[in-house]
Amino acid sequence: MSGRIAKLSSMLKRGEISAKELAEGYISRIEREDGLLNAYASNTFEYALSCADEADKLIRSGRATALTGIPMALKDNICSDGHFTTCSSKILQGFKPYYDAAVWEKLRAQGAVMLGKTNMDEFAMGSASETSYYGAPSNPVDLSRVAGGSSGGSAAAVKADIAAYALGSDTGGSIRQPASFCGVVGFKPTYGAVSRYGLIAYASSLDQIGPLAYSVEDAAIIYDAIRGQDARDQTSLTTASGATSLDIDVSSLKVGVPEEFFGEGVDDEVKEAIEGAVKLFERAGAKVKRVKIPAFKVALPVYYIISCAEASSNLGRYDGIRYGYRAENFADIDDMVVKTRTLGFGKEVKRRIMLGTYVLSSGYFDAYYKKACLLRGRIISEFDGVFGGCDILLTPTAPTTAFKKGTKSANSTQTYLADICTVPASIAGLPAVSLPCAAGAGGLPIGLQIIANRLCDGTALSAAAFFERTSGISSENCGEVKL
Amino acid sequence: MAQNNTEQKITREQFLSLARLARLSFSEEESEDFIRGFEEMISFCDGINSEIEGDASTIREVGSREIALDDLREDSVCPSLPNEKILSNVQGEHGYFSVKRVVK
Repeated sequence: MSGRIAKLSSMLKRGEISAKELAEGYISRIEREDGLLNAYASNTFEYALSCADEADKLIRSGRATALTGIPMALKDNICSDGHFTTCSSKILQGFKPYYDAAVWEKLRAQGAVMLGKTNMDEFAMGSASETSYYGAPSNPVDLSRVAGGSSGGSAAAVKADIAAYALGSDTGGSIRQPASFCGVVGFKPTYGAVSRYGLIAYASSLDQIGPLAYSVEDAAIIYDAIRGQDARDQTSLTTASGATSLDIDVSSLKVGVPEEFFGEGVDDEVKEAIEGAVKLFERAGAKVKRVKIPAFKVALPVYYIISCAEASSNLGRYDGIRYGYRAENFADIDDMVVKTRTLGFGKEVKRRIMLGTYVLSSGYFDAYYKKACLLRGRIISEFDGVFGGCDILLTPTAPTTAFKKGTKSANSTQTYLADICTVPASIAGLPAVSLPCAAGAGGLPIGLQIIANRLCDGTALSAAAFFERTSGISSENCGEVKL
Repeated sequence: MAQNNTEQKITREQFLSLARLARLSFSEEESEDFIRGFEEMISFCDGINSEIEGDASTIREVGSREIALDDLREDSVCPSLPNEKILSNVQGEHGYFSVKRVVK
């Protein structure tokens, strides 16, 4: 499938449409359709038009890249100078960052056109975007269902084409799971491949920025534009030089299928869809073998202990003094901090801060946090062992298709199970892509997850491109948009 | 904080003590609801004690490494954000964050 970005870029370069006209078209669509979708937390239409003017200048001067003039969106936790960035939380209402995130610096320099910030779970804590202060975005394939989370707004916007592409962030599956639910491509790069400078922190050892896109080719173009070492992020890494190639010799590919990802809780239609994808690789000559990752069974609690511990520390900065919202009517400064946090954070965020405080507190640190860190090492070792004999792993992205709004948020730990297939790659810092691989009951998209070894991002993307090309299944025909 | 019995994972007193550490407050009604949800979360986290088949010796610390003094970068003065930009988001005056009087 040819990508949306290449198609628009070619129209821009041939002069069939200007960047300004393209931006105006997207703005009209957002005004028409986002009332139903709620994919955007805020818009930056004026800024988009000024970005488009700059893009038109770049195009006229012959210095345009593939992303010049392409209208896109940033998740509401990625900073841009002077534009509301609220993590879809009350506590950051009114907050306008005073600098650009590294990813936006890079995209802006290429003439990208930012339409706005996309709706998300509050502080990226959730799997359905239902913890957003602005209310949940809807799934464009079925408006009564969730778009997934936490980058639900980004996935919905890309599917409905009210952003040509979007950036999201992935801590335990927050790019891949909404991509799976909405039927688009979502890519979480290797931890460190993309600078986190300017990404508002949730769990720093897990957070990673990546693209949500309409095709694998689009995801690769965006990944190439945003990756690279950055001195302002001490965990960032040097990535491969040159553009990511999507060519792959599948006949020499070793494919692992980890059996634990097909266990209890994973719907039969999802298992069948992934087995179908495995057969497609096998028919093309790939060597397929069943593998084991026994520590999979502890991955979810390990993830929640570590992420909540880091969140309780990272979110300590919201005190009503330095950012956004401050409570009124307080007795003294301590009362102000407590009231601001109590009124400013939503229920799920408070729950995770409390859990993080608990697992880091004296008497529980060794039993929970330290043990989780040790088990994280075991999960990494098991993946290392598996990648000794495999190039990629094929798994479901999510155990189910998109569920109905309001059905799981009341039971928090039940919602956590939506992350069961995405969390292991996050814990191990591995690159993983989700792409549509079948339509389940009701025409709802099912996502195939392809996990590769650390810094083998190109392998994950090229295997995904092979599947998309060979199966003929893509964002275009998997999950019809109902708007 | 001492380990609690297996029936009840957290007492109301412990919960309120955690809330103080986290700088959050809960009404009496909220506390009950939160304690119930919180116990469920702790039970969920107790899943780390599940038996895992295979070689347990692969357990290891992640990301710990010795850092030699030579590894540290030189201190260097870089441009920082101007006061007025930082204060544009908050209640501040005369180049300072403004809060209620702390020293009496």
